[in-house]
Amino acid sequence: MSDDPDKVWPTGLNLKEAEEVHSYLIDGTRVFGAIALLAHMLVAVSTPWLG
Amino acid sequence: MFDYRTFAMRKLLTIAPRYLPFADVATDEVPLSRLLRLSLFQVTVGMALSLLVGTLNRVMIVELSVPATLVAGMLALPLLFAPLRMFIGFKSDTHRSALGLRRVPYIWKGTLYQFGGFAIMPFALLVLSGYGEAIDAPRWIGLASAALAFLLVGAGVHMVQTVGLALATDLVKDEDHPKVVGLMYVMLLLGMVVSALTYGALLETYTPGRLIQVIQGTAVLTVGLNMLALWKQESRDRNRAQAMERAPKAHFRDAWDRVIARPGMVRLLAVIGLGTFGFGMADVLLEPYGGQALGFTVGETTQLTALFAIGTLIGFGLASRVLGQGGDPAKLANLGALLGIPGFAAIILSSSVVGPLLFLAGILATGIGAGLFGHATLTATIRGAPPEQIGLSLGTWGAVQATCAGLAVALAGVVRDVLVGVGGFSGLSANLPYNAVFTIEIAFLALAIFVTIPVAVRRG
Repeated sequence: MSDDPDKVWPTGLNLKEAEEVHSYLIDGTRVFGAIALLAHMLVAVSTPWLG
Repeated sequence: MFDYRTFAMRKLLTIAPRYLPFADVATDEVPLSRLLRLSLFQVTVGMALSLLVGTLNRVMIVELSVPATLVAGMLALPLLFAPLRMFIGFKSDTHRSALGLRRVPYIWKGTLYQFGGFAIMPFALLVLSGYGEAIDAPRWIGLASAALAFLLVGAGVHMVQTVGLALATDLVKDEDHPKVVGLMYVMLLLGMVVSALTYGALLETYTPGRLIQVIQGTAVLTVGLNMLALWKQESRDRNRAQAMERAPKAHFRDAWDRVIARPGMVRLLAVIGLGTFGFGMADVLLEPYGGQALGFTVGETTQLTALFAIGTLIGFGLASRVLGQGGDPAKLANLGALLGIPGFAAIILSSSVVGPLLFLAGILATGIGAGLFGHATLTATIRGAPPEQIGLSLGTWGAVQATCAGLAVALAGVVRDVLVGVGGFSGLSANLPYNAVFTIEIAFLALAIFVTIPVAVRRG
């Protein structure tokens, strides 16, 4: 494991693994963001809070 | 000078692996506590089902005054995704991950969709019902957002359940599968019953604010329970990751052909479909039937559903025991369907001949039958599946099961409403619509048994 040249310092993950962990974070943020945006727009339709 | 770099690194390294969401090693023995934790995903599935089928059904029609046909259409939307369970299961079987994960990424994605659907659902419903300023908004906004909310929840439930069951199957040894299946079913039932009671109590006095709290509370609870369920269940495995990378690209068609080519698989699927349809039609009709035909009060009819649930639990227990000792799931499924036939016959007869006692006995019998049948058919599916096709097999089971259960509930309502409408003109008795549905159920259970006869004969 330790002789893996792709190892990312200092987590012990190699590059591909780190990228995969990162992809979950990015995807999650995107989905949460989209959901939050949509929820805010729907609230604004029924009870306008932007004047 | 203070060395931030070393300091930070030392701190990072002291974050022990026990705070990471994957298991360190794949152990052979999986303790019961871990399985119990995993089975929490079924609780969230149960929550979603009872919220959609029970609570929101009422709230949308009574409090939000959305037309009943539109409500029925919205609630049927998740059914559209049921066949996709096969594809989800297949994808999780052949998933490529540098971390060596197969099931956890899909449970996580499913959880996100479930959460997202619940997060926008209350506002979508309020807009749909024209609450506040939404009365002036274009109609399509409410329709589209409500449909999206239901689709998201449905897709999430299908993903979480299919892949969660596959993960549970991966984790335990073959001879323990009946116990796991029993545990999963019990948790599903528990989630449905407890959440139905809770939603009922919370929404007794309806306000728009309360609706938002309840549905969004469900969303948060769903994420919490699912995270708790999948925490450390699958191990990080570099060897498996390398094997995944080397594996040739699998095609859905080939995998599907192999599933169907398994001896008895098509027949098993037919039995699952027919039987689930047979048992499923009663779900929504027992309570109104008890009220209309036998004069039970509202409180008493709720107890009917409880009695049915108790029967189902007994069925699960019996099935876990018998199958755990190496019993034949096909025979047990037959027995379950066989129990359902006199059960429904008793329910039909109770309105004219004996009365409430026979009705209760009938409900208990069908409950036990449904429990035995559900458990045995799922165990049969798992037993027949090779390790590399567990996801696809469970996806197929889920696709057939969820589609037939949904269709059964929808059709039961339609048949009853049509007959009630006809009865209003020609003066038929109030029991007839219900008895017609129960007769259809008997016919479907008989068909399910009929399909298995050739197997029984061949085995002698």
